[in-house]
Amino acid sequence: MRKHRTLIKSAFSTALGVGAAVLLSGAAQAADLSLKGKKIGVAVVGTQHFWDREAFNGALDMVKELGGEPVPVDGGRDNQVHADNHDILLSNKVDAVISILGDGAVEPKFEALKGAGIPVFTVDHLSPHGVNNTTSDNYYMGTTIGRYMADAIGGKGKVAVFNAFEGALRICGIRAGLWKYVLQDYPGIEIIQPELAEEFANAPEDARKKTLDLLNQYPEGTLDAIHVGCWDQPAIGVVQALEEAGRTDVKVTALDGGPDTLEIMAEDGSPFVANVAQQPRLIGQTAAMNAARHFAGESLLPQTFVDVRPVNGPEEAKAVYEELGYGTL
Amino acid sequence: MTLPVEHILEMQGISKAFPGVQALDKTDLFVRKGSIHGLVGENGAGKSTIIKVLAGIYTRDEGTVSINGAACDALAPAVVHEAGVRFIHQELHLVPYFTVAESVFMGQEQHGVLGLAGRRMRRRAEQFLKESLNCELDGKALIRTLSPAEKKLVQIARALIDDKARLVIFDEPTAPLASGETEQVFKAIRRLKERGISMIYVSHYLGEITDLCDEVTVFRNGATVAQLNRVDANSTQTIIHNMVGRDIDALYPEKKHSDGARMFSVSALGDNSRFFNVDLNISAGEVLGVAGLIGSGREEFIDTLYGLRRAEAGDMQFDGRELKLKSPADAVANGIVLVPRDRRNDGLVLNMSVGDNINLASLDEVAWARMEKRGLSLKRANELSEQIDIRPRNPKAITRFLSGGNQQKVVLARWLATQSKLFILDEPTVGVDIGAKVEIYQLIKELAANGAAVIVSSSDPQEMLGLCHRIMVMYRGEVVEDTPIDAIDFDSLLALSTSGARVASTA
Amino acid sequence: MSGTNSVSRPALFSAGALFSAAPLIIFIVLLIYLGISAPNLTDPATINLILKQSVPTVVVCLGLATVVVAGGDDVVSGGIDLSIPATAIICAGILADQLTNHGSPLWSAIALAAVAAVTMGVLNAVLVVAIGMTPLLATLASSVAAVGVTKVITSSRRINVDHPFVIYIRDANVAGVPSAVLIAAVFVLLFCFAVHRTRWGMQLQAVGGSRDAAEVSGIKTSSLVAQSFFIAALAGFLASFFVLARGSGSTPGSEENLLLEMVLATFLGAAFSPRRIVTVWGAVLGAVLVTALSVGFKSIGVNVFWTGCIKGTLILIVVASAAYSGRAQS
Repeated sequence: MRKHRTLIKSAFSTALGVGAAVLLSGAAQAADLSLKGKKIGVAVVGTQHFWDREAFNGALDMVKELGGEPVPVDGGRDNQVHADNHDILLSNKVDAVISILGDGAVEPKFEALKGAGIPVFTVDHLSPHGVNNTTSDNYYMGTTIGRYMADAIGGKGKVAVFNAFEGALRICGIRAGLWKYVLQDYPGIEIIQPELAEEFANAPEDARKKTLDLLNQYPEGTLDAIHVGCWDQPAIGVVQALEEAGRTDVKVTALDGGPDTLEIMAEDGSPFVANVAQQPRLIGQTAAMNAARHFAGESLLPQTFVDVRPVNGPEEAKAVYEELGYGTL
Repeated sequence: MTLPVEHILEMQGISKAFPGVQALDKTDLFVRKGSIHGLVGENGAGKSTIIKVLAGIYTRDEGTVSINGAACDALAPAVVHEAGVRFIHQELHLVPYFTVAESVFMGQEQHGVLGLAGRRMRRRAEQFLKESLNCELDGKALIRTLSPAEKKLVQIARALIDDKARLVIFDEPTAPLASGETEQVFKAIRRLKERGISMIYVSHYLGEITDLCDEVTVFRNGATVAQLNRVDANSTQTIIHNMVGRDIDALYPEKKHSDGARMFSVSALGDNSRFFNVDLNISAGEVLGVAGLIGSGREEFIDTLYGLRRAEAGDMQFDGRELKLKSPADAVANGIVLVPRDRRNDGLVLNMSVGDNINLASLDEVAWARMEKRGLSLKRANELSEQIDIRPRNPKAITRFLSGGNQQKVVLARWLATQSKLFILDEPTVGVDIGAKVEIYQLIKELAANGAAVIVSSSDPQEMLGLCHRIMVMYRGEVVEDTPIDAIDFDSLLALSTSGARVASTA
Repeated sequence: MSGTNSVSRPALFSAGALFSAAPLIIFIVLLIYLGISAPNLTDPATINLILKQSVPTVVVCLGLATVVVAGGDDVVSGGIDLSIPATAIICAGILADQLTNHGSPLWSAIALAAVAAVTMGVLNAVLVVAIGMTPLLATLASSVAAVGVTKVITSSRRINVDHPFVIYIRDANVAGVPSAVLIAAVFVLLFCFAVHRTRWGMQLQAVGGSRDAAEVSGIKTSSLVAQSFFIAALAGFLASFFVLARGSGSTPGSEENLLLEMVLATFLGAAFSPRRIVTVWGAVLGAVLVTALSVGFKSIGVNVFWTGCIKGTLILIVVASAAYSGRAQS
């Protein structure tokens, strides 16, 4: 067992090397990069969830590290409030805005900021009005989780999907769309219609209730997996519901791989079998550095991709948990 | 209809029955044009029934009505209003944050091209109050800043502002007023008379009736028993005779009062608004009656005795100790027992069982370490309900389904269980049938015989006279009489309650 | 007889009056504090921003104020309509779904949304007037139902809208003032006139002031109360366009914030009125101030959860003070 784990660790050290290289090159450049004297607005949709909070704090810390003055605004997990917060940043006359997540409601705000000559650096939100979008490799996330899920149910069966944001957020469109793309090659897999729609706020509890209803509708043997199309918070509620109903034969897959879901995956006999972990803190830091690069006159590519860690099974969950600095399981 | 019009209103042979009650029995009411017509009678004599028949709220069973010489077969609120009849209800029905002008024009607001004609309405309201009601008020003043009498005048102005009123019915217009304020309302009423408006004036205050009215109709038991075409100061006696006209039956237990120790006393108690400077003394074993019309301050005074209202002046002594009450709970903690007037709201938890209601005030005695001992409490409830004959004799019965008399007995049983020394019974027999009344009187007698002091507040003069050892009478916030029972009779009690002074006794 | 001196007129500045003005005082203190710590709060641009952000709240407040005027301002038994934000959301959902997912013309989308609003108004009126439910419970129930239907219509998903009409409301300026603010101002004037300057409005106020008084004055009280719920639904319908414009689409869950701000603003507005009663213009002023407060807090970097906490506390104070002055009057 132990040997196996070491093996995995070493396998990951290569990947870690890549991530570290990015980080190191960032740190190396940080010496010349500076946001000194700049007011940088940092808008986040909410700070309740690990991912959002980490990306937010990563950006704030890096802005401070680079000598800038961060102006934080928090949408309280309400996309409308998040969008409106950009107006406040505009009236506060910040020099740049780092905007984390958000749905279509922020687009006109980005446009207004751009119109006022304030560059916008987005995180996980590709926008025509932004200078650059820092994000995980969503294409890789979508296809990988598709393959893992298909493997977990032996290439055939019925799958339910929580997919509220495919149409609203481009990153979710990529992740869910590519997951479906992969499943096209498994004709034995059927996606249950209609798809489920999770709530944005209070997602775990909402998903728990919806899963319980789903389980009533699809008795034992007629449902093989539940996938959460764009993130991992609803999966917490999904696993709870499966355990309550004694239906842990149903496999669960999701994306993001925050510490809370990695912990669930690491439990013995967990129905939560596959995930793709992101590095939200690094993403936030990278966005702040991109802002500094922009002010240094560098021209940025439209998107900066930050590495992800595929997680297949409990052992990999433990390994990634440790590797991303969340502690030991 | 070519008869020479002498009467503004003729109601002849009006009958109205409700299930089990003949509320009006071939009753007559004639109101001469341009007069103020007093309508008197005891509670339940049929005054409000005939007013409601006139208003079109009740349909008469038989009889004829003609208003201003025109026969009205079907009376409906709209028809009556159209005929120029207006009602001034006892309740003010005003919005405290409306202005005088807004209140006067409520329901008949005047409109200009650009919205409400605020200034026009204000001027008109001020003018009407001044010219028709003899009252100078600012149209912009808020109702809540007015005195009770001014509010009453605003209410009257609202009914009359359209200048189409020919007959106005006043129902107890001075009930909420202190004595100094009534004159302002009287002046307004006299001014209306000068302007040719006829009025019916319903009141318990016989002094006002003789002061104000040109003629009087007396009702008793749903029938017209007297019509006085001329009224002077001596009419009071005639009116009282006609109002009562029945014998006091032997409903009440024999009174025995052994002079006990001073139990409870109150001196110079007042709340600076509804009652003033009230003294009260009661000894152990005594039953003291507090009489007075609604609005006389009696209710507020009684409420103060058990802590529901705060006294602003005076003090109370109970069992030799000074008493300061902040709440009814305080009163109970001091061993004072109250049987409230509205027992369905204040006295009983209607959805609880009879047994639980009985034990509510003495839970400590049936509880062990704050846990109720179910068996003991049921046993006690059983004993008590037997003692005072609550039917059904089942402590588990839900209180809501008991009759009024039995509900009242549940309240009394509860307090019997507390072994208290001072009982305050507020209208103890309202809504109680005659059989239960006798039992309640018996119970009150037993309480006194066992050494408790009992204060009974009641609006039923017969009950007072039959039950109490001593009676005090309140009139317009003050005590006008405090006398042993053998020094007062029915007529003087009624006179004291209705006019504040005794008339020459007929006894 | 000592009755003559019992005529008492309430003092102008009593403890009670002070208590009922407490929300106002706290608000002014907060705004002064924010004005000092966030100097750009008084910029014309920021004021424009505050006005623009407050528009959806202002418009739903018009509806709530009308219902409270007609039903009385007792927080529990008086008039209240918690379903106005839900009406706004269901209308916004229908508009978004029709315009974006079905490609319907604007007029047919508006017609469908109007049907939904009318249904909400009739439902509330029937529940409260015909069946006799407490407005608080009735409108809470209809609100939950409307949010549920909205989720069905939108599949609980965000729907982007880029119809030129919506974009016009969102982006256009007329003489430097956002078009949304101007349109809302027209609605505000209409409601103010109807409720405070017409015969109908006076009778509405009379019903809210005392149902009995209105009845004995020959006013058709039930009909007016029913109308007030209908008008509230109309306000929700009007608000839906601003909700849609602000979010460039419909987003599930946006009714919650709107509800909170609507209740806070409307009852806060009572503190501005000399008579301490809910008025249309008071509610509008309240809505703008509540938005100013939110913007101000964010400008000085107060954590969003603290803002929520402060808003909640303010609602508590406002409602408690309304209840207190209600008790003092009775």
